[in-house]
Amino acid sequence: MSTVLEQIEQQIAKLSSKAVRKNTGVIRTVADGVAKIDGLSDVMYNEMVQFPGGAIGIALNLEQDEVGCVILGDIAQLKEGDEVQTTGKLLSVPVGKGLLDRVVDALGNAVDGRGPIASTEFYPVEKIAPGIIVRKSVSQPLFTGIMAIDSMIPIGRGQRELIIGDRGTGKTTIAIDTIINQAKINKVGLASGDPKFRPVYSIYVAVGQKNSNIVRTLGALEVAGALEFTVIVAAPAADNPANQYLAPYSGAAIGEWFMENGMDALIVYDDLSKHAVAYRQISLILKRPSGREAYPGDVFYLHSRLLERAARLDGKGSLTALPIIETLAGDVSAYIPTNVISITDGQIFLETDLFNQGIRPAVSVGLSVSRVGSAAQIKATKQVGGKLKGELAQFRELAAFAQFGSDLDAKTKAQLDRGGRIVELFKQPAFNPIPIEQQVVTLWAMQKGYYDSLEIKKVTPASVSLREFFATRKDALLTEIRNKAALDKDIEEKIKAAMDEWKATFVA
Amino acid sequence: MQKQDQQLARQLFAISVEGGVLSVEKVAGVLAYLEKHPPAHPLPVLRAYQRLVKAEYAKGQAVVEHAGPITDELLKLIEDDMTRRYRRTVSALAKPSPALLAGLRIRVGDDVYESSVSNQLAGLSV
Repeated sequence: MSTVLEQIEQQIAKLSSKAVRKNTGVIRTVADGVAKIDGLSDVMYNEMVQFPGGAIGIALNLEQDEVGCVILGDIAQLKEGDEVQTTGKLLSVPVGKGLLDRVVDALGNAVDGRGPIASTEFYPVEKIAPGIIVRKSVSQPLFTGIMAIDSMIPIGRGQRELIIGDRGTGKTTIAIDTIINQAKINKVGLASGDPKFRPVYSIYVAVGQKNSNIVRTLGALEVAGALEFTVIVAAPAADNPANQYLAPYSGAAIGEWFMENGMDALIVYDDLSKHAVAYRQISLILKRPSGREAYPGDVFYLHSRLLERAARLDGKGSLTALPIIETLAGDVSAYIPTNVISITDGQIFLETDLFNQGIRPAVSVGLSVSRVGSAAQIKATKQVGGKLKGELAQFRELAAFAQFGSDLDAKTKAQLDRGGRIVELFKQPAFNPIPIEQQVVTLWAMQKGYYDSLEIKKVTPASVSLREFFATRKDALLTEIRNKAALDKDIEEKIKAAMDEWKATFVA
Repeated sequence: MQKQDQQLARQLFAISVEGGVLSVEKVAGVLAYLEKHPPAHPLPVLRAYQRLVKAEYAKGQAVVEHAGPITDELLKLIEDDMTRRYRRTVSALAKPSPALLAGLRIRVGDDVYESSVSNQLAGLSV
């Protein structure tokens, strides 16, 4: 027996003293978060390299005589002549439910001061998007809780819907509302004990934002009780461009874990304009040839490979993406906006004029579109809101025309009146998503002319009062609408009876 | 450094290699030519050329760092092994390095073969 043990010990000793092969290089220059390295002849594209002092880098430029690496971490300690070595690994981030309710950086390290992330699984940051065979068409709704969106520009699970608009038009608010709404739906669904219920987990990726804005978002999610279903990936403006470049991919990797494991996830990239700027900065320092607006040639691929990772997989889960793009003076024909518009499955366009007129969310119905979401819209919403988009478009056209003349025929006046009421109805405060069943009854009342007798200014308070009435006194009916997801004769009669009851109590 | 300088350095390096091996005579010839016909930016060209020659030279030499004594037999063994591995003549050069504590560290070009106690201790600390 002892000889056998000795043999094993000898074998272990042989292995433990085995030489380790490393491929090394030497830093030639370090500037602006990018190092040029001599050597590293075996390095792979996108491979992690180890710098002295614990900093890591990613090999982005493999040239004939040198390697260009972006450095993730503190570059203050690095100097010319320092040895760098390959790791043989691609950059990975921790994934799993342990990240929920946490704030992490682009590398998956906790930055919320609540200790390390409880996760044993890692996913590569860069991954090829799912192919054609494994995908399934979008057919399940993802409710944003914003009436104007859910009724006219519906979003489905696995869809990529762009939120685009100038600064200060409420882009982030729409994304946060959507995250809050998912948390609300999750709580109701999980409490119902329905085995078929599929919660939606959210990932919010903040790229190039002020820390104060991230804290505000965090606060809004916390107040709404949405953090327990949310992961925040933060790469603020003070982070180096490499981290800002990587953060959306890290977020996508975190979201992919949910998708691959049969769950549904929603990812918000806030925002991809700043992401493109960070990538431009890296590319210029790496001396890559610049093209239009000084962006490198592969800036389209930068976003297409990211957004293609959002999908609905056959037999698994889904990852829905809400990328955000900030425009300048409403110019949607700029380079990055046109790129992302063409990649995504539709866009929600927010207008400064509407925002300043007090129409919030400032969704421009004419310019907004959802290319696949209508397939995922529930029947009840289609029944009550099917014609709304057309009516609003007609209203906008007529309203512009009506400015030139005062004499209008009765039909035009009626159309303008109705349009004005719809616009009022869609006004909704921030961080206050409306459950889909409440949206259905609100729109039903509009369809049946319950707001017609009111002054236009009273439409919004009336709809709020109506929803409160239903939420407090007709909960069973709302549950029935939610579960059936369609309006049959019986439900419509019940809604009508409840509506009459509300009308009798409502004082304008 | 400008791209043209780097390209010139690469061309000069290419003519310094004969049959896949760096030729001392050719390098001397290149230097003599550069002295006679200096390029527009001689310093960056010479630096780039030096880097390429240095990297090529390092590929043919195994620098064996050792903490304790090392025998000629072991150096010969390393030479033979590296020559076989890299399919080119590799000569071994011993270099004492007490910082290793014990064991060896062999560098051939960009590759480092590490079997030292200091490296194992560094691995434990991570």
